[in-house]
Amino acid sequence: MAETGLAARLYKGEAGLNIVGRRKTWFTVAALLVLIALGSIIFRGFSLGIEFAGGNSFQVPTSVGSLEQVEDRAREVLTSAGDGAQVVTTQQVGGGGGEFYELRTTQLDAEQAEAVRLELGQVFGIDPAEIASNRVSEAWGSQVTNRALLGLLVFLALVTVYLVLRFEWQMAAAAIFSLVSNLALTAGIYSIVGFEVTPSTIIGFLTILGFALYDVVVVFDKVQENTRGITANNNQTYGDAANLAVNQSLMRSINTSVVALLPVGGILFIGAGLLGAGTLKDLGLVLFVGMAMAFVTSIMLATPLLVVLKNRDPRIQAHNKRVLARRGAGSRNEALAAKAGAAPAAEPEQEEEPVTAEAGALAAAAPKVGARPSGKRSGGARGGRPGGGGGNRPGGAKRR
Amino acid sequence: MRPGRQLAVLAGIFVVLYLLVFFSSGASGGWKDRLEPRLGLDLVGGTRLTLEATNTLDGRAPTADNLERARQIIESRVNAYGVAEAEVVTEGDRNIVISLPGENRDINEVGSAAELRFRKVLKIADGSGTIPAPAPTESPEATPSGSASPEATPSGSVSPTPDADANSSPTPGGQGGGAPTPTPSESPAATPSPEATEEVTQSIEEQRRAVEQKVGAEAWAAASGLQAPADLSADPSLADRLKPFADLDGREVAVLPAQMQFNVPTIGCPQLDDRPPASISDPEQQAVACEGGYAKNLLDVAKVLGTDVSDANAVRDETSQWVVSLNFTSSGQDKWTALTREAFNNEGQACDASALGDEGKCRVAVVLDNEIISSPQIQGVLTGNSQITGNFSNAEASELAGYLSYGALPVTFEAQEQQNVTATLGASHLRAGLLAAGIGMLLVVIYSFFYYRLLGSVIFLSLVLSALLLFGALVFLGRQIGFTLTLAGIAGIIVSLGVAADSFVIYFERLKDEIREGRSPRSAVPRAWIRARRTIISANAITILSALVLYIVSVGTVKGFAFALGLATVLDLLVVFLFRHPIMTLFARTPAFLSPRVSGLGRVLPARSEQAAPPRKQRVKEA
Repeated sequence: MAETGLAARLYKGEAGLNIVGRRKTWFTVAALLVLIALGSIIFRGFSLGIEFAGGNSFQVPTSVGSLEQVEDRAREVLTSAGDGAQVVTTQQVGGGGGEFYELRTTQLDAEQAEAVRLELGQVFGIDPAEIASNRVSEAWGSQVTNRALLGLLVFLALVTVYLVLRFEWQMAAAAIFSLVSNLALTAGIYSIVGFEVTPSTIIGFLTILGFALYDVVVVFDKVQENTRGITANNNQTYGDAANLAVNQSLMRSINTSVVALLPVGGILFIGAGLLGAGTLKDLGLVLFVGMAMAFVTSIMLATPLLVVLKNRDPRIQAHNKRVLARRGAGSRNEALAAKAGAAPAAEPEQEEEPVTAEAGALAAAAPKVGARPSGKRSGGARGGRPGGGGGNRPGGAKRR
Repeated sequence: MRPGRQLAVLAGIFVVLYLLVFFSSGASGGWKDRLEPRLGLDLVGGTRLTLEATNTLDGRAPTADNLERARQIIESRVNAYGVAEAEVVTEGDRNIVISLPGENRDINEVGSAAELRFRKVLKIADGSGTIPAPAPTESPEATPSGSASPEATPSGSVSPTPDADANSSPTPGGQGGGAPTPTPSESPAATPSPEATEEVTQSIEEQRRAVEQKVGAEAWAAASGLQAPADLSADPSLADRLKPFADLDGREVAVLPAQMQFNVPTIGCPQLDDRPPASISDPEQQAVACEGGYAKNLLDVAKVLGTDVSDANAVRDETSQWVVSLNFTSSGQDKWTALTREAFNNEGQACDASALGDEGKCRVAVVLDNEIISSPQIQGVLTGNSQITGNFSNAEASELAGYLSYGALPVTFEAQEQQNVTATLGASHLRAGLLAAGIGMLLVVIYSFFYYRLLGSVIFLSLVLSALLLFGALVFLGRQIGFTLTLAGIAGIIVSLGVAADSFVIYFERLKDEIREGRSPRSAVPRAWIRARRTIISANAITILSALVLYIVSVGTVKGFAFALGLATVLDLLVVFLFRHPIMTLFARTPAFLSPRVSGLGRVLPARSEQAAPPRKQRVKEA
């Protein structure tokens, strides 16, 4: 009965994953990855879209012929009207309202661009008004980026204030740190894989900020709840309580992440699959990557980091010592510990020893009798139902 | 009772919002038209141009005042295109964004520098551009009578034949057909400024020749022969010959010599006002410009430039009339004094009787771009600060002062991004955006039904409600504050779907916790709500904060994205508080909710029977 699968335990918030205890592993891995990411960003850089290099693009309806024809004709037109500009890429995009060939060229000035557009219309025998065009100067991308960086800084400052007010400075620091790692990792992935960076990517990048913190806030909220008045009690170290909170909110985190990723997946699917390129694809991709990273960093980095910071707090330090001392005594006399209903073994062990499924479940089961009474609280009028009481009701409906 | 009240509040909000959508000012047309949100031009097709303004002096961002003034000037240029719903807005601290929905055209020229010039008014003529009544009725067969240009060709020749040699019609006053461009004796005028010429690939001579071909040699010759504004009522056949000029557009008119622009009556103010910006900015040339759209003024060379102005303000004079006080830089003051002396004494290029003010003095026109914004009569030799008086209202005086100080505004523009989106491409964007939204919503709904079963319906209903609220808000805001929904905005809304669904997850997972701890659904709902509320508010606050920062700080499409995301998140909070919570309270009272088969929450109930109810959790909670 106790040997339930991981999914079920996750569902019940009892996965008993020792996340806080293994923080050194996470920190090492994270540090390594961030280093790789930074290295790639510094040495490899990003592949920037035309918005950063400056350039033009034209969208010609596919009704005019095959891609090769269009490309050849466009080359000729560019030679005559575009003052030797080059076609950089041609691709077929579209969906919904029609298919288009997108021609990207090196930078033309406004008159040349207009001339090319008119001439393309003439060459293909269509109304030039049917040819869409974009022109971006090389300064535009950097302007967008500069503003985005400014936005990033302002947001970080404001959100730090908010988190300090709403939680405490350690939580704010941990949240911001995990956020920054998240951004670094996302940027690193872009650099390593070579995804194109466009202004839309930057928008999406900034939006990750909100989401990464969303996850962190959900977990920290639980941590805060679990650790309120922790020092009054000798049962749990701060790390235990935090780890418990992570486990309890793990399903919530998974759910929120999945639910947030689903619509983004929709954007990505349509953006990449149907439109081929443009705002939707760029946004969808960066959000998808960033939010997936946010899920991981909020669990693996934020809470362990919080524990590290909190453990430096003298009050918490003293408390932890007390708990450990007591626990040491308890392990010498197990019967006593069980009787006392302290159930320290239920918590994932500190540092080295992750609790196996069985151990956790058994340990949880063991102190049951003693724990029940203390579990009553005034608020739940019906909450004090004896342990077996509920058993008769939903018996037939387990895990459907 | 409380849930009922909350639902009532929500219903009230709904009714008010949709009343606003249908009946607020600005709502017009049929029911369907009133339900149209304002779509950005990447969804409907159109042209968008982002200009970056830089201070020519130090290369930094211009001041907010300067930027706003530049925006007004660009707006008036854009309005000259006559595009409905054209929009010119400033963005950030240095961008001006011009949007022409539904229009696909090259608008780069609106960004050319606006030049302020002070020019003495030499002559005035009618600028209506219409041919006086007698002309059209009599013209075709009428024989030329006593005009300066006896014409051998029959009436048919007025058609704008491009081939000059075809109508072998030498005109008395001018050059032979097909001869090199006639150069008016007075002044070539109207050469575009250096800024403009850089961009213009053809030389002015070539352009002039092209126009000559367009109007036909005959008309051209007739026009070049004019020494004064032609009196068409006296010579109807001349009107016929000059008729082709009426078909020229602003760009073509701009290349004509100033004398010709002035003398040919078929060139009217609408065309003159349509000339590309900076067509008459060369201070060394005489120019033609209109004031108020009806009077054509022939203007002397510009002796005082906008950069000579140091400051202009709207102030009240001693009789508490609004006047514009004008200060010049030290070198500008000398030029201004010289110009006012010349105008006051009517020296130099004499101004015509028609151009005199009511006190018999010459006037000096303040020319911005192609139009005269004011032409005060000079009442003395002005050696110090000057005032422009008139029956100004406060607003008029401020506007004039604004234009005048614009002369001292050293701002140049550079096109940063230009987008021409065709209507088909826009439609395809729109469809793709809606499809993505549909797929996103579908996935979320499927997931929530899968995971929360019956409770999934609460999520579904809330999302539908949010969507309806959002749609109403978009329509209303589109009309009231001009918010346009772009593709990026749609993406923001889709992303907000995730935020909305997340707040459910938080709530329902809480509920699960509570039920797992042994509460009945009925008591668990309010408890879970109290706890989840806090988390939901904090988490949404962060999303709203990020949207707000993005909206304020960013440029380009980010703004639309941030606005949509923020708006959707705020509305989601509304739905959470006014719909989800009360509906859950109601749900908790129904027996169906207790059945674990239907409510996804039931799945956690077995946990207790398995003796696996975590004691640690309880301990923690009570701690």
